Amino acid sequence: MSASRSFLVPAVVVITAACPLVHGEKEAPSAELHEDYGKVKELLAAKCHSCHGPLKQKAKLRLETRDLMLKGEVIVPGQAAKSLLIERVEDMGEDRMPPPEEGAALKFGEIALLRRWIDGGAKAPADEPVPQGPGGHWAFQVPRRTALPDDAGNPIDALLQKRQTALGLKAQPPAQRTILIRRLYLDLIGLPPTREQLNDGRPWESIVDELLASPRHGERWARHWMDVWRYSDWYGLDKQLRNSQKHIWRWRDWIVESLNDDKGFDHMIHEMLAADELAPDDTDTLRATGFLARNYYLFNRTTWLDATIEHTAKAFIGLTLNCAKCHDHKYDPITHEDYYRFRAIFEPHQVRLDPVPGETDFEKDGLPRVFDDHLGAPTHLHIRGDPKNPDKSRLMEPGVPGILASFAPPVEPVKLPAYAYAPASRDYVRKDRLDPVRAEVETAKKELAEARKKATEAPREEAKPKPGEKTKPGKEPPSAPPRPDFVVKDDFGKPNPELWEVIGEGWHYKDGAVCQATATRDTERLLLRPEVPRDFEMTCRYMHTGGATYRSVTFRFDVSPDRKYANYVYTSAHASGPKLHVAYTRGGKSTYPSEGLVAQPIEIGKPYTLRLAVRDRLVNVWLNDKFQIAYTLPDRKPGGGLELSGFDATVAFDDFSIRALPGEVELTKSKNKEPQPAPEPVDSVEVSEARLAAAEARLASLQAIFAAEQTRGDPVAYKQASKRAALLETEALKAAGEYESKAFATDAGKVKAARAKIAKAEKKLADTGADRVTYTLPRVSRKALETPAHKEGQYPATYPETSTGRRLALARWMTSPKNPLTARVVVNHVWLRHFGEPLVETVDDFGLRAKPPTQQLLLDHLAADFMENGWSFRRLHRLIVTSGTYRLSSTSVDADARTRAADPGNRFYWRMNVRRMDAQVVRDSLLHLAGALDLTSGGPSLDPGDAVRRRSLYFKHSRDQQDKFLKTFNDADHLQCYRRSESIAPQQALALSNGKVPIEMAEKIAGQIEGEDFVGPMFELLLGRKPDAAERRECETTLADLEAIATEAKKPNPAQRARRGLVHALLNHNDFVSIR
Amino acid sequence: MDINRRLFLGRSGLGFGSLALSAMLQGAERGVNGLSQVAPKAKSVIWLFMRGGVSHMESFDPKPALNELAGKSIGDTRFHYVQDPERLRKVRVVVVNDANGQQRNKLYPLQVGYKKYGASGIEVSDWFPHIGGCIDDIAVIRSMWTTDDNHGAQVQFHSGRHMLDPRVPTIGAWVNWGLGTLNENLPQFIGMGPRFFDRSDGHYLGPAYDEVKLKIDPRNPLDYAKPQGDITAEEQRLGFGLVNRLNRLSLGRYPDDAELDARIKSYELAYRMQTSVPGVVDFEKETEATRKLYGFDQNETRPFGQQLLAARRFVERGVRFIQIMHGDGAAGAWDQHSNLKSGHTKLAMQVDRPIAGLLKDLKSRGLLDETLVVFATEFGRTPGSQGANGRDHHPYAFSVWMAGGGLKGGVTHGATDDIGFHPTENPHYVTDVHATLLHQLGLDPHAMEVPGHKRLEKDFGHPIQGIIS
Repeated sequence: MSASRSFLVPAVVVITAACPLVHGEKEAPSAELHEDYGKVKELLAAKCHSCHGPLKQKAKLRLETRDLMLKGEVIVPGQAAKSLLIERVEDMGEDRMPPPEEGAALKFGEIALLRRWIDGGAKAPADEPVPQGPGGHWAFQVPRRTALPDDAGNPIDALLQKRQTALGLKAQPPAQRTILIRRLYLDLIGLPPTREQLNDGRPWESIVDELLASPRHGERWARHWMDVWRYSDWYGLDKQLRNSQKHIWRWRDWIVESLNDDKGFDHMIHEMLAADELAPDDTDTLRATGFLARNYYLFNRTTWLDATIEHTAKAFIGLTLNCAKCHDHKYDPITHEDYYRFRAIFEPHQVRLDPVPGETDFEKDGLPRVFDDHLGAPTHLHIRGDPKNPDKSRLMEPGVPGILASFAPPVEPVKLPAYAYAPASRDYVRKDRLDPVRAEVETAKKELAEARKKATEAPREEAKPKPGEKTKPGKEPPSAPPRPDFVVKDDFGKPNPELWEVIGEGWHYKDGAVCQATATRDTERLLLRPEVPRDFEMTCRYMHTGGATYRSVTFRFDVSPDRKYANYVYTSAHASGPKLHVAYTRGGKSTYPSEGLVAQPIEIGKPYTLRLAVRDRLVNVWLNDKFQIAYTLPDRKPGGGLELSGFDATVAFDDFSIRALPGEVELTKSKNKEPQPAPEPVDSVEVSEARLAAAEARLASLQAIFAAEQTRGDPVAYKQASKRAALLETEALKAAGEYESKAFATDAGKVKAARAKIAKAEKKLADTGADRVTYTLPRVSRKALETPAHKEGQYPATYPETSTGRRLALARWMTSPKNPLTARVVVNHVWLRHFGEPLVETVDDFGLRAKPPTQQLLLDHLAADFMENGWSFRRLHRLIVTSGTYRLSSTSVDADARTRAADPGNRFYWRMNVRRMDAQVVRDSLLHLAGALDLTSGGPSLDPGDAVRRRSLYFKHSRDQQDKFLKTFNDADHLQCYRRSESIAPQQALALSNGKVPIEMAEKIAGQIEGEDFVGPMFELLLGRKPDAAERRECETTLADLEAIATEAKKPNPAQRARRGLVHALLNHNDFVSIR
Repeated sequence: MDINRRLFLGRSGLGFGSLALSAMLQGAERGVNGLSQVAPKAKSVIWLFMRGGVSHMESFDPKPALNELAGKSIGDTRFHYVQDPERLRKVRVVVVNDANGQQRNKLYPLQVGYKKYGASGIEVSDWFPHIGGCIDDIAVIRSMWTTDDNHGAQVQFHSGRHMLDPRVPTIGAWVNWGLGTLNENLPQFIGMGPRFFDRSDGHYLGPAYDEVKLKIDPRNPLDYAKPQGDITAEEQRLGFGLVNRLNRLSLGRYPDDAELDARIKSYELAYRMQTSVPGVVDFEKETEATRKLYGFDQNETRPFGQQLLAARRFVERGVRFIQIMHGDGAAGAWDQHSNLKSGHTKLAMQVDRPIAGLLKDLKSRGLLDETLVVFATEFGRTPGSQGANGRDHHPYAFSVWMAGGGLKGGVTHGATDDIGFHPTENPHYVTDVHATLLHQLGLDPHAMEVPGHKRLEKDFGHPIQGIIS
């Protein structure tokens, strides 16, 4: 026998021996039971019951007990050969049972078993009860409390002790206090206690209450629920959003806040499934519907709804509804029709991003939420689950599974406020959209003032080009006198204010360089004061020292005073595409020509020398003396400024020189097509007046449109306001056309377009006699595409004014006191996370296959108590962690030998289970002990990585993004994680011993304890208890060895280094990652 | 399910818990998860996967009829029946309205020639001359099919399950799970090359059964292979030693704690792994001739060649499953919707010499008999053209080949119709490849289950008897 068998077999045997205990309330009289009968029942259950059992009785036959078989006349005791049962399972033809489409034929051994049992007289225990129908299933009965005497104490202890006493089991004593406190901290807030907290002498209940009230508690438990409710950040390729939604973190924040507020789980369900129907104008509450928005799937609506159905059912009511997608459920009383009735609840719903105050760009922020869009969308049953084969003869009405439908509330449509269906009516939206237009008006006013001033100062204006007269691109720029002697050098050894104008914060001189220490996208820059000649050659040595995304260093020339005109070259250390690039800005807009780009590895911390030679419009660029780019710019405006800057980057410039380009230097010709210069607005009083008029008209138009939006719901006012909005919109169009025709007078094409605009507007204005009240609805929210073929613009800008109310009815059914499942399922999840084992093993399946739990009275009591007390998680946690059971020691040392042998799997909770920390707790604990954890709450999800200091639940967690360290420690599967797996792998050992975070944190933690005795306090801090003599000796010895080798290797501060080594080792101790 | 789930998972982790270790010490080659091996023919698998979809007609299933019928619409030829909807219905569409994964009607001629190779005379395209040279050691299966018309079929080939189904463990994870270790110093399941659709293998078996990702860089071949901070080797040795002694002291406190026991073993393996793995990807000791055999002398072939040479070195050291993906990008480089000719020319060149080199090298060292080499891809390409010069995804028929590990050489198995549209004999779904592999490794797929999950609940598959010698 192999070693492996010798392990597995005894384990199975031991547990089987414990079965009479394990299988719960009714202990079977196994002595009288014919030994084959149990196997026969198991076989028939697996092969036959789906058609001949509690769910279905094909041919009016049931096969669950001997009596039922006799009644169905399929067995003749003692005569297998004459038994129909045997005949049918042995049939080789079309009468074979089970039929081919239902399952494989019985094997010889299985048939032999049936024959042996029948031939042996078909013995079965007397008075075998006829199994109840599915309605009698334990989990379909409303859970009830167990009546306990007033002085029974904690009901958990009372109920468990009753069983233990009956079975003669003896519980272990409580764990030592520091171990207990560590257990409590890790369970309730996910962070380990400090030494002071470990030795907190206050009563247990005070500590419990303090931790339950801590904002950290919501974060800890939010991560658990994020597992069960399938939290996932968005995923997409290119710009295509394929899964979940952008900014879905708002739902995560809602979970954290709801738990910290102890909102009540019934309310949480209502809000997650139907906040849009329950609180349509409460944006905080709407975040909850991220639960549904997370299922968004671009490519296939059926896949999207399948996920919604499956995981809503598994998460809240513990039913595997998904098994009824193609046919009736094989094991549970859920029909094929039930599945599509459940689908009909979700059929109308779609997903959108609503605007949030202060942001109009949905890439940057927004609120993902659901809403009912296609109110009349029909649901048809898919024959055999095939979406290409719908049964159009019937319409599936929304509904919950029939067996539990008796207490379902009616579906009532919900009338929505304008706030919900027309988001443009919101005050903050109006403000956010109007503010930039108001700013435009102000700018236009200033420009007009300047233009007027200029006009009076220089009365003889240069002849303007006539409209239609086209200026040639790249015409010779005004010839500045060549200045062959022009030379400027700076080694940035010290500030030189005569040479440079330093603009913005963060510049400083250090080690012979001028450095920008903060990475911003603002206009921090060094502006060269002397004017640069048209043709010049610049050389600069510099280093990218860090930054955020783009990490660019930019050299601009020809920069106009308003910075709306510039030519430039930059190097970017952008992680996904580092490059060297020539680009230009015209009229404030930058163009990044592909012919001016060279992909180039740009590394942080490596010095680069960039040489730039410019002759007229031709630019040559070298990097580290290697020629890289020749590019011809569309035009030049010499005489502008020259600037050095970083963009999203920190940078150090350490040598700079510039001189007039000598005539003899030959430049490489460019190959790019000469870009057409973008026409620029002509500068004049007349144009500025037109511009102001256009801006004011646009403002008036938008104000009128938003005013109209706000009158929605009042038909008379709306009609009037709409009319005015339509008129002003047309006038704004005309004003824009007039401005453009003047501003771009040199561009025939633009003038033509502008005139067409005017003509269109005039035609519309002439038309106002009719009852024309249409204006362009502002599109202020973004609906997620229903299929890849759709475009956002094809969806209406407002949404249906009612919602079907189907989801709200579903949520109320789930939280009805008559619903037997919801509270049981959630209590089971909570129990699992406190004890490491659930009360019901199949946490997502409470159907007929879920055996009555060993501790059913306990589960039912807790579920009933939960419902009766406002579905309060805080109360449930408190009940659990203040129980004596929770506080038992986890060791079996000195345990009663009989108890240990009778219940090695600890089914009766005679000791605490040891658990491994979740991945997030491992990482958070490392940071927290080091005092390095940033406890900022909430906000956008963070890119994973070793440099992040926030709690791990704030990491992006999606198909494509998962932190490597967390993944090693069995992070949640984002697709479904009703329960995390736990494994022990060498990769975990490598991550903890070689990973950057543990090493860095070990160093910081080591610095936290000073004084003579290092080992004792440190051991206690990291592992929650003091070391015993042997452990202390091992630690002291290693500490001394570490110090000796550090001294020998002449490492600085060897004592401290040795302490770091010891801390690092203790962080790798099994008990560090264990919750004892 | 009454087996304590945590106990179970804890004890079985990565095949080096107490069981595996004691099995190993006894020199026994036994399955660690209660799967006794039945007469294993192969010890290890080298799994080569061409990401994107290799054209079967232009690799291992040449179809001269395409040249005759070039430009004709399928419906106008005698092969009009292949598009009968009934024959296409197995495909499950992930991306509705996708521009790719469509029927392509206009037949497109072969973009490369082909000829017979070896004593067996099996026809191979001119893009794979070196593999052609090894054809007498290869069993070509020309009748594969799958059900995903998009690149999620990569997941399907590795797991047996469609992209729209829940993720389940891949074949590599199961082999890792089912077989004991042959080398206490190395991980049992190593992966190289790009992945995209599913980057995990273990799934419900846990991350202990994920591939251990390897880079061809002796200085840093594994994640967390060396301390990311200033810790000397001597300090590390002292640290590991202390951890080990302290954990052993804890055993006295928690005598029934299976996890503690497994963790002690995991630290022992981790410590050995970090020192032994870098040596395997250090090719210093390989001869010039060997390096050349794998294509180290050419820029195009070197990167893949290095991975294959590393694979051989892992096989020599007893690693069970080496999974090498070829072809970068989201879909995979072989995805030639356009420019099929230039694309396949370039990619085939990257892999042809190194793969032939691997087969020859294994053979000359006597390793081919106990090593199964698999060459696979997620699907074939359409007989019809897409755009001017490409082919679309074709899940209905494609080719894979296997070599070594007790399989026949110089044989073809299964066939497609003359335009390569459907299998005409011995069709095989991807799990048949898994079943063949498990069979040769001596593993019983029916015994592959952990609490709550049974591999065969859905993943049926039958060994391809026709290629087993």
